[in-house]
Amino acid sequence: MLVLSRKAGETIWIGEDIEIIISEVKGEQVKIGISAPRSIDVIRGELRQDVSTSNTEAVLKNIDIFKSKK
Amino acid sequence: MNLKTAYSGEVEIDTAEILKFEHGIPGFESEKEFVILPIEDNEEFTVLQSVQTEALAFIVTNPYNITVNYNIELDEATVHALQIKEQKEVAVFSIVSLKETIAESTINLKAPIIQNTSNNKAKQVILNNEDYSIRHLISSESQKG
Repeated sequence: MLVLSRKAGETIWIGEDIEIIISEVKGEQVKIGISAPRSIDVIRGELRQDVSTSNTEAVLKNIDIFKSKK
Repeated sequence: MNLKTAYSGEVEIDTAEILKFEHGIPGFESEKEFVILPIEDNEEFTVLQSVQTEALAFIVTNPYNITVNYNIELDEATVHALQIKEQKEVAVFSIVSLKETIAESTINLKAPIIQNTSNNKAKQVILNNEDYSIRHLISSESQKG
């Protein structure tokens, strides 16, 4: 993984059309601005992780619940 | 083609019915192809079966049957990725996490699976809507209805 050091106000470009700006650094929190085409998904990591965990929990283990309804 | 499934034995499927998930789904990024299979004597729930992995299957259902006033707005990233041109091409279903009973089971309203029925491209979309939960209790709706 590429790791870059940046200060508040500095930017990073990814490809031709994604710009990341470090907008504010305050204690443990960093505010990040992202300018990307609307065709690109921007999702918080913990939300994606939660969906991933939920999918893993939802893997079908048996379908007895539907059989017993008969 | 014949497909070995987790719970329906070996079934014959039409390759035209295979849903294509270009990036898989979160947690299963390498699973790019699924098919929807019926459950015997059940209209409400269906099985989403992996084509690649026999043991991998989920229960899915139409979220509009579970929750009243389910409204989602597709963002441009989804419309673009699935090449959606018209609203009538879109099908929506949600993954159900089964518990001991259906009432205790949860449905993922926050991250529905969106399918373009014209080309069968599909994607699990994570909505920005704060009203919808990843683990929405199914019974919380049936009591209302």
